[in-house]
Amino acid sequence: MAGTMERRMWDLLLILTTAPHSSDVVTSALRLSQAVLDRGGSVRVWACGYATMMTQDTFGDTKLPNTRDPEGYYPSPSAVVQRMITDGEGRFGWISCTACTEERGSTHHIPQVRHRSPLRLATTVTSAKQTLYLGGA
Amino acid sequence: MTAQTANARSERDSPAGPGSYLLIESKGNWAGPTAGAFLRDAVVLAEAGHRVRVFLVEDGVFSAVGNEVAEIERLAELGAEILVDDFSAAQRALGATTLSPHASLVGMDVIAAALSEDDCRGVWH
Repeated sequence: MAGTMERRMWDLLLILTTAPHSSDVVTSALRLSQAVLDRGGSVRVWACGYATMMTQDTFGDTKLPNTRDPEGYYPSPSAVVQRMITDGEGRFGWISCTACTEERGSTHHIPQVRHRSPLRLATTVTSAKQTLYLGGA
Repeated sequence: MTAQTANARSERDSPAGPGSYLLIESKGNWAGPTAGAFLRDAVVLAEAGHRVRVFLVEDGVFSAVGNEVAEIERLAELGAEILVDDFSAAQRALGATTLSPHASLVGMDVIAAALSEDDCRGVWH
């Protein structure tokens, strides 16, 4: 007899469509994600539009050196996401929209990123108890 | 009666009863012709008897400066909670003394807790 597959429910889904550095929104999304993780919850981010650029593996681990603080450590966006995925131990996920990724040529992501067609967005929403759309193309 | 009011009243009168809303405003009150509309939606929901919490984040924190934003004053009259992101306020050199007396500075942990409530409907603008 075939068993039924139980769909995992995430506590929070953030649909992030805004471009990095266009405003504070990426910082807000990551701060909110970390706050949910700190409470023991689970978060998934669906990156759309230029937000798909954040997890490019070509960034490396750090930003360019800060000449006013050459010894300082400034992680790249992809390193921040990578660390949150690792530290989250399965409670933090990052999805890159395949259409937006291909349209922008941002196809070289860090390996922890999952790739999903926009046709699966509705399914992803139904797999979350709470969804916030952080807009701005 | 506006369509928004009609919808809110319809929801209030529904068998499900009043809801709980966390409305997150990230836009400044000069952000465009629709600036303020989101806070007016919050007012409509509060007037309809729903529990409303407004969280001002990013440039949205400017709506809590002083006491000149009518929607904030009205929300306070209606018993809605006005929450201001401490990080966003600090980034803009806004201290508690410059904010509306109705506003409370909170960290993102408060918002994470609110969003985890079963009946809370979160909306980000």
